[in-house]
Amino acid sequence: MFIHVSEVSFGYKKGEEILKAISLTLRQNQFTVIRGDNGSGKTTLGKLLVGILKPDSGSIFIDGRKTSQMSLGEIGKQIGYLFQEPERQIFTSTVGEELSLSLELNNEKDSSQQDRVTELLELFQLLPLINQFPFFLSRGEKQRLAMASILVNQPKFLVLDEPTTGLDQVRRRVLSELLLAQRAKGVGMAVITHDEEFINRLADRIIVLEGGVIKSDTFTKA
Amino acid sequence: MIPSLRLDPRAKLVIVICISTLAVFLEKLSFMLALLVATLLVAWLFQLHSSRSIGRIKKVLSVIIFIAMLQSLFTNAGTPLLSIGHITIISTYGLQRGVGVLLRISIIVLSAALLTTSSSRDIVQGLIQWKMPYELAFMVSIGIRFLPLLAEEIQDTFVALQLRGVELKKIPMKRKIKTYSYLLMPMVSSVLIKGRELSMAMELRAFRAYPERSSLRTLKMKHMDYAFILLSLSLTSAVFYIYMHY
Ligand SMILES: Nc1ncnc2c1ncn2[C@@H]1O[C@H](COP(=O)(O)OP(=O)(O)O)[C@@H](O)[C@H]1O
Ligand SMILES: [Mg+2]
Repeated sequence: MFIHVSEVSFGYKKGEEILKAISLTLRQNQFTVIRGDNGSGKTTLGKLLVGILKPDSGSIFIDGRKTSQMSLGEIGKQIGYLFQEPERQIFTSTVGEELSLSLELNNEKDSSQQDRVTELLELFQLLPLINQFPFFLSRGEKQRLAMASILVNQPKFLVLDEPTTGLDQVRRRVLSELLLAQRAKGVGMAVITHDEEFINRLADRIIVLEGGVIKSDTFTKA
Repeated sequence: MIPSLRLDPRAKLVIVICISTLAVFLEKLSFMLALLVATLLVAWLFQLHSSRSIGRIKKVLSVIIFIAMLQSLFTNAGTPLLSIGHITIISTYGLQRGVGVLLRISIIVLSAALLTTSSSRDIVQGLIQWKMPYELAFMVSIGIRFLPLLAEEIQDTFVALQLRGVELKKIPMKRKIKTYSYLLMPMVSSVLIKGRELSMAMELRAFRAYPERSSLRTLKMKHMDYAFILLSLSLTSAVFYIYMHY
């Protein structure tokens, strides 16, 4: 599975290009970090990758299919996207329901999927919170909840926008462990982050954005 | 010529309410056209930089053309202007409806923009002096400022829901409605979170530290303000009267 970005340009307003003819290929067996200064277009690139934004020119392909010809529902079954603000993707009134939402929405409720939900609740340390109202969770908990809910669909690739902001040292550790575990299961990742420690621990490949173009693209591990 | 008209924010509020009420009720194109001209005149008096509003109106233009085409396709009213075979693409009726919607939206967007020519502090102050509780007045003014931000968040939320694997196009109406209802939760929590952050920031700056609020700045309605309020109310009633009887 791969995401191929071909000559993509994008601007929120006419005549203003945030991204200028960007090309790159993200592969499932790499842990890719995207970094760059504030306002360099990282979030914009992330949203383009999952089809939330449509390129002004150029195309994006998921496994060879143009995202412009796929519905968001189809894309969501292949790629999980974590918003910079986890509140935007929490929809139900308890933690438990949130994880079952994808199944509910898709009318699939067989036992193997229920098992997956339980497994994820445990893995993301959400079992003790299962009846909580998500609004009162801490930021770290909301983020784990959002991530676990995305994984219910078993995406092959994750795009995470600054997942470590607002997390303390311990929570960051927990998050990187979780990501490593997902990666061991073969889930590919593109993570937008500034977090040095996080990058040193996890990144195979670092892409730096500057002035709307890719300034560097380096592989850190063989 | 009046170089720059500085009206009390309350007078502006009354004018805006009058204009938008008319825009909602008037149906005849001639009346709406006249109202648009009047709104433009008021905007010019207030020295509103209307380029932003025009940008907003442009955005909805394509939707309006689409509405005009739908109206033409599905009704037999009016004379066809453009047709392929027996199918009418644009009829006079559809065009009329489309132009009507365009006028209405333009008037409302323009008149709402009039409020941005007062600072939010002045709007709050004005409403309090009209005996509205301070907290409520404050919230009204915040609401006016936060709307565009909320719109973007709601869009993100809608996308996030679809990314959970919902094919909105493929599901039946009943389930669609249920699915949409899930949007409520993140919308409400986003508003609450904004409110919480805001109230924290306000407390840190000693908002409501003293039970009685004293304002250094008081707004005084001048003769001009009363004149404009009276004028807009009577004009609005007159237009309604004429509209009903002719
Ligand atoms: N919804 C939007 N409308 C208009 N401009 C935007 C919007 N979102 C981001 N921008 C602008 O696009 C640029 C890139 O933003 P973003 O992709 O969020 O950068 P980053 O995530 O690297 O901080 C910034 O200059 C920002 O102001
Ligand atoms: Mg960002």
